[in-house]
Amino acid sequence: MYDLVASLASGVLVGAIYGLAAIGLSLIFGVMKVINLTHGAMIALGMFALYFFVSVLGFNPYVSLLPIVAGGFVVGVMVYWIAVNRVIGSSDLMSLLATFAMNMIIIGVGTALWTTSPYNVDFSLPGISWHGYTIPGTQIVAAALAIVIAGLLYVFLYHTRTGKAVRAVASNRQAAELMGIPTRRILAIAFGLGIAVAGAAGALIATLFPFTILSGGSYELKSFVVTVLGGLGNPAGALAGGILLGLIEGGVAPFVDVSWTPVIEFSLFVLILIAFPAGLFRIGKNH
Amino acid sequence: MSQSILQLENVESGYGEVQVLWGVSLSVHAHYLTTVVGANGAGKTTTLRAAIGSNKVWAGRVVFEDDDVTALSAHDKARRGLVLVPEGRQLFADMSVEENLEMGAFSPRARTHYRKNLERVFGFFPRLAERRQQKAGTFSGGEQQMLAVGRGLMADPKVLIIDELSLGLSPLLTQQLFATLRELKQAGLTILLVEQNVHLALALSDYAYVLTEGRVGIEGPAHEVAQNPDVRKAYLGM
Repeated sequence: MYDLVASLASGVLVGAIYGLAAIGLSLIFGVMKVINLTHGAMIALGMFALYFFVSVLGFNPYVSLLPIVAGGFVVGVMVYWIAVNRVIGSSDLMSLLATFAMNMIIIGVGTALWTTSPYNVDFSLPGISWHGYTIPGTQIVAAALAIVIAGLLYVFLYHTRTGKAVRAVASNRQAAELMGIPTRRILAIAFGLGIAVAGAAGALIATLFPFTILSGGSYELKSFVVTVLGGLGNPAGALAGGILLGLIEGGVAPFVDVSWTPVIEFSLFVLILIAFPAGLFRIGKNH
Repeated sequence: MSQSILQLENVESGYGEVQVLWGVSLSVHAHYLTTVVGANGAGKTTTLRAAIGSNKVWAGRVVFEDDDVTALSAHDKARRGLVLVPEGRQLFADMSVEENLEMGAFSPRARTHYRKNLERVFGFFPRLAERRQQKAGTFSGGEQQMLAVGRGLMADPKVLIIDELSLGLSPLLTQQLFATLRELKQAGLTILLVEQNVHLALALSDYAYVLTEGRVGIEGPAHEVAQNPDVRKAYLGM
């Protein structure tokens, strides 16, 4: 019983980070209807960025989030102008291929630079012990920061002019253009934010687990599950979906071998797609 | 005689391979209400879209305040004060009334007059003030058109271009919106209107163009165009 509770608690904490990662994917899709296949690679770059700041430069990992978010934004804006801008408005396959190509480039360069052997950021915080189980302090802080970053994004989208313009472009790009909103620039900003959030999620994950340049892939898949749970293009739903996915993982972990976790996750993904094609948290939304 | 603020000179445009406009020339005078009428498919909407930059101009020129603005993007033209209220409202459905109006005032020029313009819009459409937190997508057709016009006014237009003001609205709402248009005109706003209700549009307008198959057929002071036998027969059912 205690092991289940501890596992669920840990699941919720890690799930908040899944949610943050998924927000990056969901934001980009919501604003420009592009499924960003560089998502996993960007999460992995976030992990290596954390390694660089902490293990090479000796920064505090949480302070490192600031340059990682800023750098992620710059990288995202660049990727938008290089690979995404010219395929906006053409078929969905074009943007899939464009982002997939960028993904392969990043993974290839990353493999050449860092190989695929695991890296580890040596960092720990005192945790909370409870009946022989310990929730690591890094998990608690990472989850809290994931929620804070998601909250900051919310404040940006709902309480700043540029953020509202992002939502306006998501809602009706043509009308936004008619109102004097430079829509391409707004798309670039949204893409930059999506990547910044993915990088931050990667950095937070790297404070918890070892990683390779390929590690982003499984978090990318989890992000897809989470966005389907939460409804594509719905950031608040993505965070809730992430926590739900973490709960499911935590719930099954004490009972099955770890290799069964993705089987259960993706079976659920398929079932939810069948039962609620618009996502679980779309219900009750005004449309 | 007032000055011409916006000119289309032999504009050709269309969609993909299909040419719709075959050399449209028209001129919008400051403080005038200018109407473009014509049958379905004559190119009215395309004319407006070419003017504001939503459609590419294949040949010809668009001149606004003596500048050639043919190649400018729609958002750059909006920033200069060439603002379109599009057909079918095209609101930001997930956003509140207030946010829609705020987005209308996105350009730096419009932002400086935000308070004044907001008061004016709420003065015209008190219903919008009552429901400023409500999502635009939940509005009825008439309220949406009010919001679309209000959002356009928030952009502080030098020329307000309206595509199909009364489409899908009840006669009562149509009368209301035309009354608003009259007030705006009296306040000195320059308006370019495309309107299916030719009778109402000509009654209110100063000048009118009749488009036929992508070309300007008849033009003149609105009261003269309204007397033109061809126009009376084709559009006014007389």
